[in-house]
Amino acid sequence: MNYSIGFTDLNASLHELEDNDLDALMADLVADLNATEEKLAAESKDHPSSSSSSSSGSSLPTPTVNNFGFPSPTVAPAFTTTSISMPAPAPAPAPPPAPAPAPAPALAPALAPAPGGPKGSISPPPPSQTSKLSKEEMEAQTKADKIKLALEKLKEAKVKKLVVKVEMSNGSSKTLMVDERQTVRDVLDNLFEKTHCDCNVDWCLCETNPDLQIERGFEDHENMVEPLSAWTRDSENRVLFQERKDKYAVFKNPQNFYLWKKDKNTLKDMKDKEKEMLLEENFCGTSIIVPDLEGLLHLKEDGKRSWKPRYFLLRASGMYYVPKGKTKTSRDLVCMVQFDNVNVYYAKDYKNKYKAPTDYCFILKHPQIQKESQYIKYLCCDDKWTMTLWVTGIRIAKYGMALYDNYKTAVQKTTASTSWTDRINSNASTPSPTLKAKAANGHAPKPAQDTASKGLSNQPAFPPPPPATEILPPPPPDPVLPPPPPPAMFSKGPLPPPPPAMFSKGPLPPPPPAMFPKGPLPPPPPPSSMGGCFPPPPMDDLPPPPPPDNDDSETPPDFLPPPPPAMGFPSSLPRGGALPPPPPDPVPPPPACPSGGPLPPPPPPPPPPPAPAPAAAAATRPTVRKSGPPPPKRTTPVAAAPSGGDFMNELMLAMQKKRTQP
Amino acid sequence: MAAWDLTVTVEELGPEAPPLKVSVTSDLHIGGVILKIVEKTQMKKDWSDHALWWEQKKQWVLRAGWTLDKCGIHADARLNFMPQHKPLRLGLPNGATVRLKASFSAPVFRCVMGICRILNIRHPEELSLLRPMEEKKKKKDKSQEEVYELTDALPNAASMLTLSNGMPAHFAQSAEHEAVYKMLSISQPAPAPETIAKTYRPSNVVEKAEVNGRWLDSSRSLLQQEINENDKLLIRFKYYSFYEIEPKHDAVRLTQLYEQARWAILLEEIDCTEEEMMLFAALQYHIGKVSLTEPQIASCPAMDDLDSALQCLELKLDEEGSSGADMLETMTPAPELHDYLKIFRPKRLTLKGYKQFWFTFKDTSISYYKSKEESFREPIQQMNLKGCEVTPDVSIAGQKFCIKLLIPEPDGMNEVYLRCENEQQYSKWMAACRLASKGKTLADTSYSSEVESIESFLAMQRTNPGTASAQTDESINTHSLVSPRYQKKYKPKQLTPRILESYQNVAQLSLTEAIQKFLQIWQALPDFGVSYFVVRFKGGRKDEVLGIANNRLIRIDLSVGDVVKTWRYNTMRQWNVNWDIRQVAIEFNGNVNIAFSCVTADCKIVHEYIGGYIFMSTRSKAPTDTLNEELFHKLTGGHEAL
Repeated sequence: MNYSIGFTDLNASLHELEDNDLDALMADLVADLNATEEKLAAESKDHPSSSSSSSSGSSLPTPTVNNFGFPSPTVAPAFTTTSISMPAPAPAPAPPPAPAPAPAPALAPALAPAPGGPKGSISPPPPSQTSKLSKEEMEAQTKADKIKLALEKLKEAKVKKLVVKVEMSNGSSKTLMVDERQTVRDVLDNLFEKTHCDCNVDWCLCETNPDLQIERGFEDHENMVEPLSAWTRDSENRVLFQERKDKYAVFKNPQNFYLWKKDKNTLKDMKDKEKEMLLEENFCGTSIIVPDLEGLLHLKEDGKRSWKPRYFLLRASGMYYVPKGKTKTSRDLVCMVQFDNVNVYYAKDYKNKYKAPTDYCFILKHPQIQKESQYIKYLCCDDKWTMTLWVTGIRIAKYGMALYDNYKTAVQKTTASTSWTDRINSNASTPSPTLKAKAANGHAPKPAQDTASKGLSNQPAFPPPPPATEILPPPPPDPVLPPPPPPAMFSKGPLPPPPPAMFSKGPLPPPPPAMFPKGPLPPPPPPSSMGGCFPPPPMDDLPPPPPPDNDDSETPPDFLPPPPPAMGFPSSLPRGGALPPPPPDPVPPPPACPSGGPLPPPPPPPPPPPAPAPAAAAATRPTVRKSGPPPPKRTTPVAAAPSGGDFMNELMLAMQKKRTQP
Repeated sequence: MAAWDLTVTVEELGPEAPPLKVSVTSDLHIGGVILKIVEKTQMKKDWSDHALWWEQKKQWVLRAGWTLDKCGIHADARLNFMPQHKPLRLGLPNGATVRLKASFSAPVFRCVMGICRILNIRHPEELSLLRPMEEKKKKKDKSQEEVYELTDALPNAASMLTLSNGMPAHFAQSAEHEAVYKMLSISQPAPAPETIAKTYRPSNVVEKAEVNGRWLDSSRSLLQQEINENDKLLIRFKYYSFYEIEPKHDAVRLTQLYEQARWAILLEEIDCTEEEMMLFAALQYHIGKVSLTEPQIASCPAMDDLDSALQCLELKLDEEGSSGADMLETMTPAPELHDYLKIFRPKRLTLKGYKQFWFTFKDTSISYYKSKEESFREPIQQMNLKGCEVTPDVSIAGQKFCIKLLIPEPDGMNEVYLRCENEQQYSKWMAACRLASKGKTLADTSYSSEVESIESFLAMQRTNPGTASAQTDESINTHSLVSPRYQKKYKPKQLTPRILESYQNVAQLSLTEAIQKFLQIWQALPDFGVSYFVVRFKGGRKDEVLGIANNRLIRIDLSVGDVVKTWRYNTMRQWNVNWDIRQVAIEFNGNVNIAFSCVTADCKIVHEYIGGYIFMSTRSKAPTDTLNEELFHKLTGGHEAL
């Protein structure tokens, strides 16, 4: 199956979106927003930034904040969960102490155009660090943590995001928000959840350029946004989501690449052990060994029209050829290109386009070059296998160890996801995600499929609505697997926005959240306020969706929180926050996770509050996470920073437009 | 049993003294003989290291429990009573010579273990001893080469790991020893170009093969191989299979390995391309420079990182301490560069030549304006340097400081030259361009060090190319960094910009990182780790070359140099040596049999190489640190195996 992700430009892509895409995206966004804000609240709580931390208090009960384990004064009205109004990260200027209802969200001032709303309130004096307990180390630690957090926030503020439309080969589509810190691996994981493909290691995101008739599979460790940013505004480039056997072929059958000179037949029945040995030899030493490729290729370069045969050699340092009349000793070789600044692409149908001797061509070019240029090196091989050899060899030379690491990660993911699918399968309420992706795509009518996958994808993204959870059987204790998605979700499909209930759950104070639930339906709120609503998502949930794994593990129910109003939290918290999966912490989650607030107390098998939500009481976050199923997946990508504000506006406008001109 | 006189020469009595006659019976064991000798000498000293050497048979009589009869010693035997450990001059990979006590009685394999313990090199099995090239007589005229004394260093098992003052305990005993350790663990300054040019270097594969004929036999002792006290031997990494290099414990090993690799490159023992040579040169320059500044002893990179991170943190804390809120302010104003520079764009066929504009550098972009006054307006052009190629085009002599930028754009690369007035300006802008090409801004912490390293590299050009000086603080002759081939091909002036270009990619590396990078690139060379031997294959009419690497044997055509065939060890069933006809026979899977005799080396050396590599490959499975000496000898010993 081919999902293709079309991407052009934020604006353009938004306008091109289908209604339902927009809705879905919107829903995602809002949910994420919610989550993010909660998280932020938590963060800022963790982080009573020496100065400003404070808060615009709110009508909500104020959980007492215990600063870094100090028996510190409970900072009274400070830090309620109303982070919405005070998403300002640490460095924000001190807000007034007033428990202002903060109708309009304040933005971290430096980070984005401040919305009209009152800026946060000035905060009470910084929580005394001088507490008796304070050992210097601890102080240093906390300070360090704070700084780190602050820096992260700042970074966050500048995060760039792209909207990417995902289409399948059958015409259906998905829309992703990709933020610039996400790697291709992250995006793949995301797609694995949104589609129910078999998640094998060959799945690949691949970029095509119709102008040049080329395509290239992104490497898993690559940054996703970067290559996409190189596309021109009017680009017709696409990103495909497809299985590519050549992606990791070298690790499955290293002998074909490293012993390519040998007889094909002997290579065929190479034993696994020997393959392992080859891998070890070439990838596990102090230095990566590049396959010793050499042979005659045809080169078209420097804008010339003709293809010249040359004898090429691949070395770790670059691609060389033997000049006329010379031998192939190292000293005589001429370097055609080194790989630091170029990528390698498969080319299609160059016999027609450039009168190439065969159709098995590849090119080397700077990723930013999008059109025909003399700076592109065009190469033509005699047969397909030679082409695969060279392209793979060049990838090894260019990426080295990273490639092997990618593969190992991919294999891990596959095994993990297999168990996930199995698990889902056992659950009746889920719509057969075990269907092989191919089949599903091939035959399922688009909407149905969309729905199904949406549902799947939503599951992580949205905290399950409370009612749904009540209906559901308690999540099985299996730590690895997320609880089955509530059926309700599925039925809803991509169309309706998430139930408002969800929002109320959040620690949001009534006024601003109100806007959100409505979000997709009524006219969008004034842009300014909207913009304000996007606090930079905290760094820690970055590697986006922490996959449902054992972190949120054992005995979720046990952790279910007798809500102690306050608790000392591990001093390491802020740091922990920066790490993707919170360390399993046996501490019972304290103040009824924010969700507890407006919601009915969670049932024993707790409907997981959105992970970030626990934020409410900073201290509790890690524990809470554990207590529930996986945290919302899509928080980060979507939560737009200051720029996000603009994005939201655009999104809203686009939607409005669509609606008005059916 | 009848008593008879045994003739024993005792070294301690001096060469003039007549041999002692000791009255013995044939059933007296060796220990008893030694006791009698000691008594007879009437000297009081520690004799524990002494043993008997049987001159005629060229062998040690080491089994104290054996009787003379069992050893086959009769009245006609002439024995020498001498210490087993004697001084040996050892040529290190870095070219220095150290004198230390080595065992002349143990097999070379164990002797090397002892030497490595003194030198503090882990994994001694990877090294071995090599006879030096025959030196020409005239060299004697020269003043004695400098020799580092290490004869009285007595390492014990613990002292390798116990660090005192950042070095193994046995080096911390005296200032001299500390100096030796410094020599061992810090790379040597770049040699003068003449030194490189004069040093022997193999010019073809046959000469490369000859080197390998000089390895000592690992299963016999030094004395058995006619190495005498105070003779010179070279110690080198013999098997190119380096196990678990840990910078923390392997300061000497890493440095010596680097030195061996560097000399292999400089002397063209291993071929590389021009691009690779420039990178090697840049790394050598960088390593030389950093070694001077970075106190390597007791430094472990991780700790350093931590230290600097902590310092950095403290600094920030101080700043922040007063008012946390202003932290944001201190961070937001991104540094910028402004100046008048000249620009030239070869693409546009306008007037050829540089035109002056007012330039600003902000984030990763360069903008330019007609003049400073116009700078608040829209720039004439703005160029984002992210992902661009930056190449220096500098000549100090010509006072030319240009930066060549290849800026990628959708329809190709945009070629731009920026011309600066002077070194300072150039360094600043160049550093900014470099960072921007990697997507970093001027605010990046590495900016100032980048500026600095560019400045210091420029200083290289200031030195008079005529004077061939070794590396000092700032100046270096770039000819010291490349092999003679490139010394001939390029003038130092021409080399500088090329090396500078590569240098940009490595300038930020720490010392250990740089050394490791050097080794990595070395190991990635296609010919890396292949030891050559000229052999005659069974049934073949002409000499051919056999290459032995850590995972394969390679048959190479002698005249053309092409690889004819490769056999991998893991397809090897067995190998045998017919010691009578000195022929090595190897059987591979699939009933492939080869046999050859060795021309440039004893077949024992070839046999030992193959067995040695197989031994090296068994190491990873054994988690323990102890060396399986027995296995080594089994694999390499041949018919004389223990």
